[in-house]
Amino acid sequence: MRWTRSLSELAPPALLVVVVGVVGSGTSPARQIDFQTALVSVAIVVALYVFVGNSGVLSFGQISFAAVGGYAAGVMTVPVELKVGTLPALAPLLRDHTIGNLPSLLLAAAFGAVYAALVALPLMRLSGLAAGIATFAVLEITHNILHEWTKIGPGAGVLSLVPETTGMLQATLGALVVMAIAYGYQRTRFGRQLRATREDPAAAQAVGISVHRQRLIAFTLSGGLSGFAGALYVHQIGSLTADQLYLELTFLSLAMLVVGGATSLWGAVVGALAVSGLDSFLGQAESGVNIGFTLNLPTGTRLVAVGAVMALVLVLRPTGITGGREFSLTWLRQLRRKERTA
Amino acid sequence: MVDATNPAKTRRPGGFRAAAVSRSFDGVHALDCVTLGLYSHEVVGLIGPNGAGKSTLVNVMTGFDFPTSGAVEFEGQDITRWSPHRRGRAGLARTFQHSHSFRDLSVRENVEVAALGVGQKPREARARASELLGILGLADQADALAGGLAHGDERRLGVARALVTEPKFVLMDEPAAGLPEAEVPEFAAVIRAVRDEHNAGVLLIDHNMTLIMEVCDRIHVLDQGATLAEGTPAEIRANLDVAAAYLGESAIRTDAGVDELR
Repeated sequence: MRWTRSLSELAPPALLVVVVGVVGSGTSPARQIDFQTALVSVAIVVALYVFVGNSGVLSFGQISFAAVGGYAAGVMTVPVELKVGTLPALAPLLRDHTIGNLPSLLLAAAFGAVYAALVALPLMRLSGLAAGIATFAVLEITHNILHEWTKIGPGAGVLSLVPETTGMLQATLGALVVMAIAYGYQRTRFGRQLRATREDPAAAQAVGISVHRQRLIAFTLSGGLSGFAGALYVHQIGSLTADQLYLELTFLSLAMLVVGGATSLWGAVVGALAVSGLDSFLGQAESGVNIGFTLNLPTGTRLVAVGAVMALVLVLRPTGITGGREFSLTWLRQLRRKERTA
Repeated sequence: MVDATNPAKTRRPGGFRAAAVSRSFDGVHALDCVTLGLYSHEVVGLIGPNGAGKSTLVNVMTGFDFPTSGAVEFEGQDITRWSPHRRGRAGLARTFQHSHSFRDLSVRENVEVAALGVGQKPREARARASELLGILGLADQADALAGGLAHGDERRLGVARALVTEPKFVLMDEPAAGLPEAEVPEFAAVIRAVRDEHNAGVLLIDHNMTLIMEVCDRIHVLDQGATLAEGTPAEIRANLDVAAAYLGESAIRTDAGVDELR
């Protein structure tokens, strides 16, 4: 019975991601980039969801773990002979070694997890507003280090010539791996205890649950998955600047999570795909797109629209498109019943 | 009424005690040198008017608040500075005055996660939860979300969640508040079962004098943060000081309470 439940909850979002991957593979190379971006977004948002969704604590810091992972994976996969020219100030250890595709993804996950664990030790003692602001400080600190420190990367310049290994297949598989780990976690005793602290921290402590410990575990896992997602990201684009994994992506990923429904994996996946789709479409519309007529939107419409959608969802349906519940057939039935009565 | 098993008189070792506990908030004495001992296999009633310090005492004993002076002892150890979750794991459970269910989790999950919290394996947590939901009459609603439970069911869920941790002591903060009068006898049976079948010590805060008089082995009366009286239900009933303390209370409860006491 428990296996069927796991299957019925994990299969629908997994299937959705596979469909996006398959449909994307049939499109033109230019269009494929949008699909890959959407799939990488799924990985980023699900990683964010592992902490934010299960704990109910907002974090602005998760993208910094994606940045650390992205930089680690990027710097370590640029071929040695090219590093001398593009990254002259790099520390010798980083300059003289290059690793392959899979090791770079794993290295990024490890970096993200270790960094997140270090950050979480003091930060997870905070709560409410203080915790949110402190995670924002982490984002700020990480960004400035990556932006200035040329021993570990390109600094203010562009990290380029990174192998573009995240194709449609790897983007799909990567998203699926992150989703499977996220779902597995939320069904373990750790994930379940963290969800109890989300519902009521006092009652959770009264039954022996350490809020600090459970948040620490989730934050670390989320950091590891974010690092992995950051590696997928850099390998998709082939280059990276510190600004790409900073404020805009923090905002976008939170918007995706909130729009989909922050308290379920299904919500995280649906939100990531829906907002990615909207984002890509509006991005094209900013430079003119033909949808029966030529739509040409002013620059900046993209983020204005995404922000507006996020605000609208928060006002009209605070639990997100999915209501923050996992996919289930009863949910579909209820939705249909509602539509019929409406 | 002489009772050889009355722990207040025999002073058994072990147990769970607030020893000379005081707690003040900005100079206001919420608790003033209160000593209260609780032993396994007994129900102790904690009564007193609103603002007497009952919930503060429960909070201090369960680690949600710290005393300004005095100590909390558990089986001979000083646990005054222990965190709430450490006390929960050690076998000190509580229920809350207001609903503190995990609203977005199912009724079953509410109980299972409490078992996980004290370190039980998922499989045994599941079995224990099913058993307790059956005993407390919540089996039919096991898969419903806790947020949608009726008031009486929610109270019983709180008890199930406390019991699944296999506690040595359970502190119940107004568990019968808002229960329809007809459900009170049933709830009294639940409290007795905690004592008799789970061998736990129970500290019961409630304003319902019928319930208190019916299930308690001993009663401790607080007024304005200090101990006003201690004794068996019969002794307390005879103690007119208690009635006087209740006269200051809101009309409905005071009348009911004083009538009971007389």
